[in-house]
Amino acid sequence: MIEPKFEAAVGMSRKWDAREAGREVAETAIKNLSRPPDFFLLFSTIHYEKHGGFQEFLNGVWDVLPEGTPLIGGTVAGFINPQGCYTRGATAMAASYPNMDVAIGYGKNTKRNPKKAARQCADMIKTGLKNSNYEHKFILDIMSSGLVPQLPGMGRTVIIRSKTISKLSPKLFDFYGKIMQKGVCRQDELLKEFIKLLPDYSLIHGGATDDISQLRNYQFFNENVSTNSICALAMNIDVPIRVKTTQGLTETNRNFVISSLDHSRRVIKSIDGKPAIPRLFEIMHLKMEDLNEHIFNKIFFLPIGWKSEDGKLIATVVGIFLGDYFYVMFQVDNYNATLLNLSGRGLLNSINENIVVTSNTQLGIFSSCGSRLLALGNHVYDVQKRLKEYFNDKPFLLYYVAGEGSYSQEHGLEYGNYTFNSAIFG
Amino acid sequence: MRDDPIALVLDDLLKLDDILACMVARRNMISVMPSGDGFKPEVNQIWDIIRRAMDDVFTVIGQYSGAGLGEMELRLQEYEVLFYVFPDTENALVAIVPALANKGLLEVEMENARREILKIMEMPEKEKVVATA
Repeated sequence: MIEPKFEAAVGMSRKWDAREAGREVAETAIKNLSRPPDFFLLFSTIHYEKHGGFQEFLNGVWDVLPEGTPLIGGTVAGFINPQGCYTRGATAMAASYPNMDVAIGYGKNTKRNPKKAARQCADMIKTGLKNSNYEHKFILDIMSSGLVPQLPGMGRTVIIRSKTISKLSPKLFDFYGKIMQKGVCRQDELLKEFIKLLPDYSLIHGGATDDISQLRNYQFFNENVSTNSICALAMNIDVPIRVKTTQGLTETNRNFVISSLDHSRRVIKSIDGKPAIPRLFEIMHLKMEDLNEHIFNKIFFLPIGWKSEDGKLIATVVGIFLGDYFYVMFQVDNYNATLLNLSGRGLLNSINENIVVTSNTQLGIFSSCGSRLLALGNHVYDVQKRLKEYFNDKPFLLYYVAGEGSYSQEHGLEYGNYTFNSAIFG
Repeated sequence: MRDDPIALVLDDLLKLDDILACMVARRNMISVMPSGDGFKPEVNQIWDIIRRAMDDVFTVIGQYSGAGLGEMELRLQEYEVLFYVFPDTENALVAIVPALANKGLLEVEMENARREILKIMEMPEKEKVVATA
């Protein structure tokens, strides 16, 4: 009996016109498959917003893709595939395999009600795969990441100096999140609900982004472009899929206690009993005069982190400065925190620590933090070089997102910023 | 009409919002400019001083390119000038970007442009010229 062959291929387009790019990325992805694709993952940088729009982009994809192919994806800061590293363009992965059942799911209003969005998405997946019996179960999801809010009279800003406004701002951001769907993305809340509903599935996750300005992002679900949503591809398959998260960050001895939070547990109000920002700057060896538009260039390499209940390190960027308070991306679960050290060497070593490739490996898919891309710059070609060494002529695709993570029964749930998450088939 | 393929690479780079100007240059000379209307208007006010600074940087590039100098950058007022050196030459791909740009992302496309230009430079002469209708 002839063993069915797993086929996967990566496509790409560097065209500027949205429709032409959509066509090209689909053509180049499926031309090397001998059978119609069973699923299609699609990632694009934000540039098509101004060069035809994403609906035109998707229309171009569907000019080529067979009708009914399950498609999900979203906007990303950049991507790596066997051809190179890019922060402009589109890439896709198409796969075909007889011993696999696929379903896609969608949930909306992720910032307003992340748990409900998780349930909507999970329900679609459960319905789609209810008659599937393959042993190994895997999900890849992409959801809308955080958006910098635009405050009345202040415009879009990440530094609010007024202490009066900062005292009001946690409630203001709540309002913005729930009504306007701007602000924090609540990825952690959605992820925790999602894996509760689908505990048998391993998963890699990413937050769709633009060019890390966090001004807008889009998700793709079949023929539709959406915002503030989650879309997921789920599969039951007879090929094992290994999922793992590494970071490459190291803990320093600059520890501190988060002594006061707001009700959302994302606004840090005081550290070591003192107002949060001045104390944070002391710990980071910064001066208060450094709090200007260049601050992110300085604190970018100084993430903070804490251990989750099951001992996983959660690293986060410092997001928005509000008077004496500051926002982090994820709900604080542990008041004992530390400053983390980020280095290019650490980021690259985390790739070697993560990847295991065997003679049975069919493909690799990776979600990775856009902050790593910002940190590495053109040295991201060192990442591509390592991936090519591991995968040889097998296809792989890495996309850069904002907020990411993974789940498996072996490793549990891991999420944060600065992570590198792999799903290796076979 | 035949287009300079290196100029086409620069045209692509210049389409990125944060690339205000780009060129292939060496000391005292701009070898290739983008094929369109030139640089974005924001650089006009600072171009003279950047041009002079570039010449000083190219003195260093000339001395150390053979020793493996890959990139240099300088910050001048609210701008940064990025130099991506062509190995073992005194030439570089030069771009002017705002100081607050997300430089990491731009660096990837600068690297891609450098690699494309190097491929073009290494092509036999008759293959270099791109025929257009």
